[in-house]
Amino acid sequence: MSGLATGSIYALMALSLVIIYNATRTLNFAQGEMLMISTFVGWTALQLLRAPLLVALLVAVVAAALLAWVLERTIIRHAISATHFDVLIITLGLSLMLRSAAGLLWTHDEFPFPSFFGSRPLGVGAVRVAPASLGIIGASLALMLALGALFRWTRLGRAMRAVAQNQRAARLMGISVEQVYSASWILAAAVGAVAGVLIAPVVFLSSQMGLVAINGFTAAVLGGFGSMPGAVVGGMVLGVLENLAPLYLPASIKHSVPFLVMITILIVRPGGLFGRVAPRKV
Amino acid sequence: MRPALEIDDVAVYYDKRRALEGVTLTVERGEIVTLLGANGAGKSTTLRAVSGLVRAARGRIVYEGRDISHAPADAIVAAGVGHVPEGREIFGEFTVLENLLVGGHTVPRRQIGERLEEAFRLFPVLRERRLQAAGTLSGGEQQMLAIARALMPRPRLLLLDEPSLGLAPLLSREIFDVIRRINADGVSVLLVEQNARRALALATRGYVLETGRLVASGPSAGLAADPRVRRAYLGLDGARRGAAT
Repeated sequence: MSGLATGSIYALMALSLVIIYNATRTLNFAQGEMLMISTFVGWTALQLLRAPLLVALLVAVVAAALLAWVLERTIIRHAISATHFDVLIITLGLSLMLRSAAGLLWTHDEFPFPSFFGSRPLGVGAVRVAPASLGIIGASLALMLALGALFRWTRLGRAMRAVAQNQRAARLMGISVEQVYSASWILAAAVGAVAGVLIAPVVFLSSQMGLVAINGFTAAVLGGFGSMPGAVVGGMVLGVLENLAPLYLPASIKHSVPFLVMITILIVRPGGLFGRVAPRKV
Repeated sequence: MRPALEIDDVAVYYDKRRALEGVTLTVERGEIVTLLGANGAGKSTTLRAVSGLVRAARGRIVYEGRDISHAPADAIVAAGVGHVPEGREIFGEFTVLENLLVGGHTVPRRQIGERLEEAFRLFPVLRERRLQAAGTLSGGEQQMLAIARALMPRPRLLLLDEPSLGLAPLLSREIFDVIRRINADGVSVLLVEQNARRALALATRGYVLETGRLVASGPSAGLAADPRVRRAYLGLDGARRGAAT
C-alpha cells in the first residue's frame, strides 16, 4: 500500500515532466526543485499565517504557477528556439540555483510537515493501512482524473495535445504555441506542488526533497516517455517495486531500484511500457 | 474595398538560401488565383509567409487592407486566413471530431455546434467517421478533413497547398468541386497545385514561380496558351512531361 502511495507521487512527478516534454520537447530538470520551493512557500504560509493546511496547499500551487510562469517567460522562452541541449542545461542550472536559494531562505535543515491525513492505522479487513498512504493515493488519483478530463475535454487541453503532435499544424489552427508553452509549465508546476504537499509529511520538508523528480523521470521512462497513462502506470510500478525489493534482496537495494529499473527497461523495451519505439536512423 | 490579399515585393530566406525574391501578387475578393511552379520554386513558402509560419525578410503582406507581415500566425488565423498545408498535416492521433474542434480553436464556444454541422454538410463522410482516428482515414478523406478543419473559423481567404496531391482522379475532381463551392460562398482562394491544367481551369488568374521569382502572370486562359507554361507545367510538346509534379 505504501508502495502505491510513493508510486502515486512518482506518477505525479512523471506527469509533470511529460506535460512539459510533450509541449516543448524539452526536459525540465528543475521540476523537483520547483516542487520543493512551492512546498516551502506553502509551509511558510502555515507558519506565518497559521493558515489551515488546505490554504497552504493553495498557496503552494499558486506559488508554483507563478514561479513556472516567470521562469518560462524570462528564461526558457528565449532559449527554446536554440537546441534542446541548451534548455536542458539551463534547467539543470536552475535546479541548482533554486536549491541554493531555498538553503538561503529556509536553511538546509529538515522540517516536519503536517499531513491532511491522521496517523492511526485503518483496518481494511485483515490488512492495516496507514491513512497517509490511502490519502496520497486518493488525492493523486483525483488529480490524475482531473488532468485527464482537462486534456480530453477542454480547449486548452486539446490545444496542448495538438501542439504535442504537430506544432506547425497547431499554429495554423490559430493556437498560440507560446501560450501553450507557458500553460504547460504552469500546469506541470501546479501538479508538482500538489505532489510536494502530499509527500512532505512522509519525507520531511527539506531543500533536498526535489530529488524525488529523478524517480519521476524513471517512472516516465518506464511508462514510455510522452505517454500520460504510461507515466501513471510507470510511477505505480516503480513505487511498488521499490517497496518490495528489500523483502527479497539486501535492504540497502531500495534506493538503487529506480536505476536498475531504468536500465532494465531501456535494454528490454526501450520504448517503455506504453511507448511507441520511434525508429531512428543511425 | 482593398483586395483579399496583396503580396508586395516579398523576399524569404531560409538561413542564407533564397526561397522567394521580390514576389508581388494580388488576390481580389471572391477570386480564385493559382500559383504554379516546379518543386522548390517557392509556392509553399509563399503560402507560409502569408499565414505567418515563415517571416518575410523584405516586402509587405496585406490582408484586406491590414498589414500582416509581422503578425503572429495565430492572429492571422483569427483575422480570417485559413491555410490547408501541403501533406494535409491532420492530427493523426485525434479523432475526426477532435481535429475539427481544434480547427475551431478561435471560434466562440456557442458557435462550434453550428460550424461542425457546416463541415459535415460539406463532407458527409466526415460525419460517419467522426469518432475514427484521423490517421486511419484514406488520403481523400484526410484531405477533406484538412479542408473542413481550416474552414471551421469561416476564413475569408483560403490558402490551399496541393489539395489533390496523391489523390485518384475521381477524388481530386471531387476536391476541386468543393473548392468551387467554397469560393461560391464568397471565400477568396489562393491555390497551389501540381495539376496545372485543372488549376487553370478553376482559377480566374494565375502566377508562375521559378526558383523564387515570378516569371509569368495573367488570366488563366492566357497562361494556359503561353508556350512556356504549356511546355513546363502542362506537359505538352512532350518536352518535360510531369515537371510540375
